[in-house]
Amino acid sequence: MKTSSQHWILASAIALLVGACATVPPGPPPDVVRLQNDLDRMHSDPRIASNGGAELANADAAVDMLARNERTLDRRQYQQGVYIADKLVGIAEASALARYSEQRGMQLGAERERLLAQTAVTETRTTTIVTEAPPPRTVVTTVAPPPRVVHTETGELMPRARAELMTMQDQMPGVESRLDARGLVIRLGDFMFEPGRAELTPTAEQSLDSVARVLRADGDAGIAIEAYGDDGMALRRANAVRDYLDARGVDSTRVSARTIGYAPRNTIADNDRRVDIVIRSDYR
Amino acid sequence: MKRYRLFLLAALAVSGAAAAVDRDTATLELTQAVTAVQTAERDDAARYAPADLDEAHAMLDSAQSAVDGRNWTDVAIYAERAKVTGDLASSRSRQHRAEAATAEIERSVDSLQHQLGGGAP
Repeated sequence: MKTSSQHWILASAIALLVGACATVPPGPPPDVVRLQNDLDRMHSDPRIASNGGAELANADAAVDMLARNERTLDRRQYQQGVYIADKLVGIAEASALARYSEQRGMQLGAERERLLAQTAVTETRTTTIVTEAPPPRTVVTTVAPPPRVVHTETGELMPRARAELMTMQDQMPGVESRLDARGLVIRLGDFMFEPGRAELTPTAEQSLDSVARVLRADGDAGIAIEAYGDDGMALRRANAVRDYLDARGVDSTRVSARTIGYAPRNTIADNDRRVDIVIRSDYR
Repeated sequence: MKRYRLFLLAALAVSGAAAAVDRDTATLELTQAVTAVQTAERDDAARYAPADLDEAHAMLDSAQSAVDGRNWTDVAIYAERAKVTGDLASSRSRQHRAEAATAEIERSVDSLQHQLGGGAP
């Protein structure tokens, strides 16, 4: 009797346990847990949390939607949702880290300009300097941010895309822009090229990406690339800039490249190898 | 932001409802995917995010194969995957380029500090 009673209790306990298991919903699937963990990690990383922007919100929304709906989705829907949410999480992380690096690059760029100016002052005060192959250097002056409405040198309203370019200087480290008789001039300093070579540095490529984006939107603009220097290096650098813009969708037939010798004294050093991208105002 | 929320909603809806995907919808998805992959190529993803770009190409190939079979649901699914993977390749490319540029500026600052006396003033 006792044994029978024990069996009955045991059977009841098992039945209750099985029933409980059947009614307690299982946790989210491993894919969803992984994505949620990734998002938690990103939100706790100040570099990502403070630079996540719309991409991080998109990833949050996607993973949340997947977690809430995973039981109602069939296998194919679920797999598609995981795939897309996974990529959106990746996009959020990469975009945030890119913004973080760009901001840090801008801060370092300002520090570099300050040090360059300090170096120039030091060299002016020193009568004799013996250094090993001093790197060519451009003292870049920071131009005050232009007003939102920008006019050409002839007083006409500047096309929107070109005006945007003038307001984008802070996104283009090492680049300054100005208006002169030729049009809107984007100036790339010597350090935008690998030393003694015509290859663009990553900084230059980053800045030219912004220029190319604007030039693609400003189809009326004719472009002249003017490289300073008296030898073949200047032309190779001008062509490197033209080819880079061409690869990013700026039709090379819109672009002329030439060398114009060294800049006049008192404005720039003889050893300066700058390249100007001139967005010509006379081109329609 | 809205674009991606709609994007996911559409993806979930599209993948389960074969009858809901017509040729026009699938073709539109495919066009957007091609644009995203081309943008990634222009962003130098072949250099900075080759694995993502390869994956985007593979998805695009699958979508284009599905066009041959006139399976519009598959076209839409693979096209959406190609698009989001192309966007990821662009984002990673931007990240790597920004990090490389920042590292270069950092080296330049270090060099100038060294030139000025071995440390930050």
